[in-house]
Amino acid sequence: PIEDLFASLNKHIQRSEYKQVVKVADQVLGIAPGDEDAIRCKVVALIKNDSIEEALTAIQSARNLPIDFSFHKAYCLYRQNKLDEALDSLKSKERSTSSMLLESQILYRQGKMDACADIYQKLQKSNVESLEINAIASLVAAGRASE
Amino acid sequence: NPIVLDLAYNCVEFPSLESRM
Ligand SMILES: [K+]
Repeated sequence: PIEDLFASLNKHIQRSEYKQVVKVADQVLGIAPGDEDAIRCKVVALIKNDSIEEALTAIQSARNLPIDFSFHKAYCLYRQNKLDEALDSLKSKERSTSSMLLESQILYRQGKMDACADIYQKLQKSNVESLEINAIASLVAAGRASE
Repeated sequence: NPIVLDLAYNCVEFPSLESRM
């Protein structure tokens, strides 16, 4: 039954066995095409496995489903250094801590240090671990180390 | 420029499957 497959999925996630996660997620999708949890597991596992092109293919194949993968798509494009496309994908999404973190990393790679540093300042109140490392890097790169 | 960490990676998270098992 599908509950057993999800228990198996959960076990592989706990063990960081990402290829197994993809395999079992595909088994779920064989029984229940379009299952949101299974598709999310597959996309996340592919990203964690550094299979970025495959993750984009999985996202593309889910395009007709009511699942918002704009952050995941943007992250994959960022990893491929397709920075303008990555920003485009983020724009279709409401701003959140995760989308702002990704946006700031994209801006950093684009050399837009002021805009990047501004986002980190907006995120100061959030509880992101190690945020100060990136915040300081962007201020230094922007020539605003005194801030 | 200084190296920055890929903090966005940590935001790529698996869904909770508690209710599915
Ligand atoms: K980076």
